[in-house]
Amino acid sequence: MDVDDKLTPALTLRGVSKRYGPVVACDAVDLAVRPGEIHGLLGENGAGKSTLMKILLGLVHRDAGTITRGTEPVEIDSPQVAVELGLGMVHQHFSLIEPLTVWENVILGDTGRIDRAAACAQVEEVSRRYGLPIDPHVRVDRLSAGERQRVELIKCLRRDPSVLILDEPTSVLTQAESAELFTVLRRVVQAERRAVILISHKLAEIMAATDRVTVLRRGAVAFHGATKDTTAQELARQMVGREVSLQAESAALGLLPVERPAPVAGADGTEVAPSAAGPTQEKPAVLRLREVTLLVGGLPMLDRLSLDVAPGEIVGLYGVEGNGQATVGELLSGLLVPDSGTVEIDGRPVDLVRPGALHHAGLGIVPEDRHHSGVVLDMSVAENLVMKSLAGVTTRGVLSRRRMHRIAQRQMTEFNIVAPSPDTPLRSLSGGNQQRVVLARELSAGPKALVAAQPTHGLDVGAIEDMYVRLRQAAAEGVAVLLISTELEEVMALANRIAVISSGRIVGVLPTAEATAERLGMLVGGVSH
Amino acid sequence: MSAADNIATILSSGARLTVPLAFAACGEYVAQRAGTLNISVEAMMLGAAFGSIAVASATGSATIGLVAGALVGVAVAFVHGILSHRVQINTFVVGLVLNALVLGLTSYLITVSTFTGHQVWQVNVPGLRDIPIIGPMLFVQRWPVYLLLAVIPLTWWLVERSRWGLELRAVGENPQAADVSGIEVNRRRRQALLWCGLLAGLGGAYLAVGEVGSFNQNMTAGRGYLVIAAVIFGAWRLGRTLIGCVVFGLADAMRLALPALGVTMNSQLLIAAPYLLALLAMLVFATTHREPRALAQPFQRGTT
Repeated sequence: MDVDDKLTPALTLRGVSKRYGPVVACDAVDLAVRPGEIHGLLGENGAGKSTLMKILLGLVHRDAGTITRGTEPVEIDSPQVAVELGLGMVHQHFSLIEPLTVWENVILGDTGRIDRAAACAQVEEVSRRYGLPIDPHVRVDRLSAGERQRVELIKCLRRDPSVLILDEPTSVLTQAESAELFTVLRRVVQAERRAVILISHKLAEIMAATDRVTVLRRGAVAFHGATKDTTAQELARQMVGREVSLQAESAALGLLPVERPAPVAGADGTEVAPSAAGPTQEKPAVLRLREVTLLVGGLPMLDRLSLDVAPGEIVGLYGVEGNGQATVGELLSGLLVPDSGTVEIDGRPVDLVRPGALHHAGLGIVPEDRHHSGVVLDMSVAENLVMKSLAGVTTRGVLSRRRMHRIAQRQMTEFNIVAPSPDTPLRSLSGGNQQRVVLARELSAGPKALVAAQPTHGLDVGAIEDMYVRLRQAAAEGVAVLLISTELEEVMALANRIAVISSGRIVGVLPTAEATAERLGMLVGGVSH
Repeated sequence: MSAADNIATILSSGARLTVPLAFAACGEYVAQRAGTLNISVEAMMLGAAFGSIAVASATGSATIGLVAGALVGVAVAFVHGILSHRVQINTFVVGLVLNALVLGLTSYLITVSTFTGHQVWQVNVPGLRDIPIIGPMLFVQRWPVYLLLAVIPLTWWLVERSRWGLELRAVGENPQAADVSGIEVNRRRRQALLWCGLLAGLGGAYLAVGEVGSFNQNMTAGRGYLVIAAVIFGAWRLGRTLIGCVVFGLADAMRLALPALGVTMNSQLLIAAPYLLALLAMLVFATTHREPRALAQPFQRGTT
């Protein structure tokens, strides 16, 4: 769709800057969004997209620059003001209150008396107008990720925003749901002349769904133009700042088609029964989940889930967010104890109630949320690196800082951890380097099996590449690697076998060579064959 | 005395002992739903008990004393709200300091002043009061008891049906989400605390100008903590919270009644009984309920 450049932009940012101490998050960013267009905001993690949007939402105060709404300069100093100005945002991690019902969530932030019937009628009206079916009386914690996003959209659209901002909206959606979302967005801009800002790090999505695109790199605008006049390759180059050639990078950026790596030595790709990752491997499985059932709040998050990972192979556990992968990750981190079933490492069941049992049994874990359960941000790099092997650096309960430093220095070199010194607090490292610290610690312990849960979430391209290389290398050295991921491209690029999880069950296991996006898509959607 | 009379006495005194707990619990319930684990409820009650007697003594009116007591509760809540939801000092530290401060202050003030006793008037419904067993409990009580009967449904309505209450619940569950929806999180939390202060103040004042008619040192003796226990025991539901208050109130009544009934037990042990009961209740219920997700988590915009 063509957008008239002479139209008054709905929202204009000029020279907007924000620093956090020495770090420049946004560096004189210019952005103009016109009514009737979907404007893509593309950038790697840490490029300043989120900061920019937080400024627009009144969550963060800018240091310099102006924001103009229509023709009027505005000051957005709180979320309340942002709402009044007609800026609506659909958050990446939904901003819904789970124990409340749909209609209660939708009217949050309104004023005046509550009129339940009118609120429900409005929800239904908005839901009909945009084709977002939802029951207003249902509690949000009973909804799937896709349905929750509908609620967020309804909540935003009901307030009749002139600018609608979506932050990584497809990260929790199936492909069908994503397509549905973009149809709705098209209607929002075309029929109602609203402006949409679509924040994403997925190139394919930006190419398919946007009219104009702005690329941010290290806080500054690297590129700006009409989407139809550019190519994915060009955008990728602007985003990263150099030519993108590596397969892993392309996969990480969502540039299809995906190359399938040759099977790593030691693994085979023989046919596997669809209902369970059966022990058809020649080598006995190192990591084995047997009929694991785990209830959360009475609902089965894992439902008699069985999965085998043999030494030297990478098994990808793929599915849409909210189907139990996160639970598998937490289970194997030792954060959850199953209601029934066992986790076996090297043929021996592990007593999951004992703290550290999995680690002692030889399981390494790169957890999904490293800030939550992977590292201690306010402790130093060295302290984080030795945290799981304190016996090696203590003598009769006294910590040897010298030995700790030596070990840390060695691991920092080996794993390319960029930090001023081993004593630097982990908090001041970039996400990629923090993740390298986790990986270095886990691999240095010489694990028999390694679980990597969403290992590239929030990382820049360089760090993603590094992570891929390390995981392949670990598998080549005979470690059984379980890769838990919601990124199809990532799983296709790394795994030898792909186990698809849906509603807490393994619904199929395919050798990667036989996996196509369509077959996986059907399995993910719960269509078993 | 007949057995029926004994039961009527225990029930009636149990009801009276429940009243201060129930007032304060209605307040604490609201504060906790908004995300403040408010431990200064003890200070609110004790301060209000003192304030009510002091003002009743000065004005000669127990009712004015009761109102003054409620205002002391609000004042404590105001200080707590400013310190923990504006200046962002840890809410437990604030609560502990306020509890110690009010205990010390009232203990000192009671030694340097003399107050005359005052009690609010008693409702005594002729006819109905003669209903066996439950008659005295329901129809011979001091008037704030009947105020409580209005406060309970009002509290429920506020939390469950009003927009203010919806926003409170949102703030207690997910302050970040409430914030981006346009709700002023810390303001709502301060307001919830003020409501808590008002009701805890009424509860404390009732203890002094309703129940006893005078003030003595550390008069509340940890009743505020029992109230917190009742909210947790009640799994953050008003009805169950009030049942908890009744259980604690009856336990207290039993303690007072047992010697009169000829049962001899160590009196210190008896005094400990309600608290022991609270501990057991928490042990049983601690694992089964779902607390407001952001309970006791401070909110500051920009930290995620």
